[in-house]
Amino acid sequence: MAQVFWTWVAAFLTLAIFSFLYKDNPFYKFAEHIYVGSSAAFWFVYLWYFDIKPKLIDGWRYNTGFEKYILIIPAVLSIFMLMRFIRPLAWLSRWAIAFTVGMAAGLGITAALQGYLVPQIQATFLPLWVSKGSFWHSLGISINNFVLVLGTIVTIFYFYFSKEHKGTLGALSRAGIVFIMVAFGASFGYTVMARISLLIGRVYFLIHDWLHIV
Amino acid sequence: MKREVPIAITFISGVLLVIAFFIPHEPFGSLEQRFNDWYIIVSGFALILGIDSLLLHHWNKVSRRSKDWFHSLSLIIAFFVTLIWGFYSGIKTGHFLSAQSTFRQYFYMYVFVPLQATMFSLLAFFIASAAYRAFRADRFEAALLLFSAGIVMLGRVPLGNAVAPYMVGLVFLIFAYLLYSDGRKEVDPTRRYLKIGGAVLSLILIYPVGWFFLHYTAQTAGWIMNIPQLAAKRGIFVGIALGGIAMSLRIILGIEKTYLR
Repeated sequence: MAQVFWTWVAAFLTLAIFSFLYKDNPFYKFAEHIYVGSSAAFWFVYLWYFDIKPKLIDGWRYNTGFEKYILIIPAVLSIFMLMRFIRPLAWLSRWAIAFTVGMAAGLGITAALQGYLVPQIQATFLPLWVSKGSFWHSLGISINNFVLVLGTIVTIFYFYFSKEHKGTLGALSRAGIVFIMVAFGASFGYTVMARISLLIGRVYFLIHDWLHIV
Repeated sequence: MKREVPIAITFISGVLLVIAFFIPHEPFGSLEQRFNDWYIIVSGFALILGIDSLLLHHWNKVSRRSKDWFHSLSLIIAFFVTLIWGFYSGIKTGHFLSAQSTFRQYFYMYVFVPLQATMFSLLAFFIASAAYRAFRADRFEAALLLFSAGIVMLGRVPLGNAVAPYMVGLVFLIFAYLLYSDGRKEVDPTRRYLKIGGAVLSLILIYPVGWFFLHYTAQTAGWIMNIPQLAAKRGIFVGIALGGIAMSLRIILGIEKTYLR
């Protein structure tokens, strides 16, 4: 019985959101507000169970000595973050914000180096002629490698703004825009397909789980 | 004190993380993981500030009986029902998303997932209408965008693979007609014959291009995703990484202080 009731709730919310395709209406607004409110609460509960409870509360309960008492620092900074609610002490929240900004900046450097810069450059150092199997197979891999290396270099040149894009730099940046357009088009197509698959999922829910037509 | 201490905190936390990256030995070795945990805890509390702002905004609308106040009330009720239910399930079953929790069985599966999936699936319609308005193949770059998007969309599904040769054939047919009708109006004989020749060539190419897309649409889509798309993405990622490092250095060194406003 509960299953049937909740299937009807899900169907109502799905149709209420889809009703926006006709025009903005009270049903859509209702579902939209429910979504925002429940999402905010969901992510708060999620944050509690996945981050704050295991890292701070359980850390304090189960650790001993230095590992336990060092947790006072994030706890105090977290309380400082909430000082925004107390006007005379609101300036203390800047300390917590400064810590998160400093952390994000430090992680920005290390993560950019580790996660993006070095691996991407490393992966672009490809042989321009590969001798593997038949001649045509080797030629295919070599062309792919050449396109990959060339595309990466010319795209970087497109984003080089310290010099006017004229002459050789202009030609390279024009080649860069060709690759960027292909990439944007492909990303667009990929996004459309992802959204379409979500749409198919919702329509399938309506006709299979709710209406039992198929 | 109110400005200098935050700048010092930013500098110390940022620099210590960079040192921990380059010296992965004690006492810096475990610092990265520890700081990362602290960052998650402290930034998590920022969510409370956001929630406070959201609820306050909607509570003001309810108390003033502003336009759509009923929807604001439904937001507040949805927030507290979800919050109480989530914590109740968490306390009862050990984790709010455990298989036995009613929060997961009912709220997550029948409210949260449908709302989120439907909201994002709406974009399928808007993205299609935006593409219809924006994708005008009036320039070479725009045509490239249209071509790669079309091939990736067609190549990712079996139906797309089946219709691709006919769609490409239709595009070539329209292209031939446009060239021919344009060529007939042309005064300059060279340009006229070039355009009519282009129209004839387009008609001739329908069969070989259609044959190619009949057999290789999925492979072409895969190639576009794996080679030119990846190349441009790599270039963009390298740019993002360099920009991110420059911005992070500005923040750590106290040149960028807008976050203190």
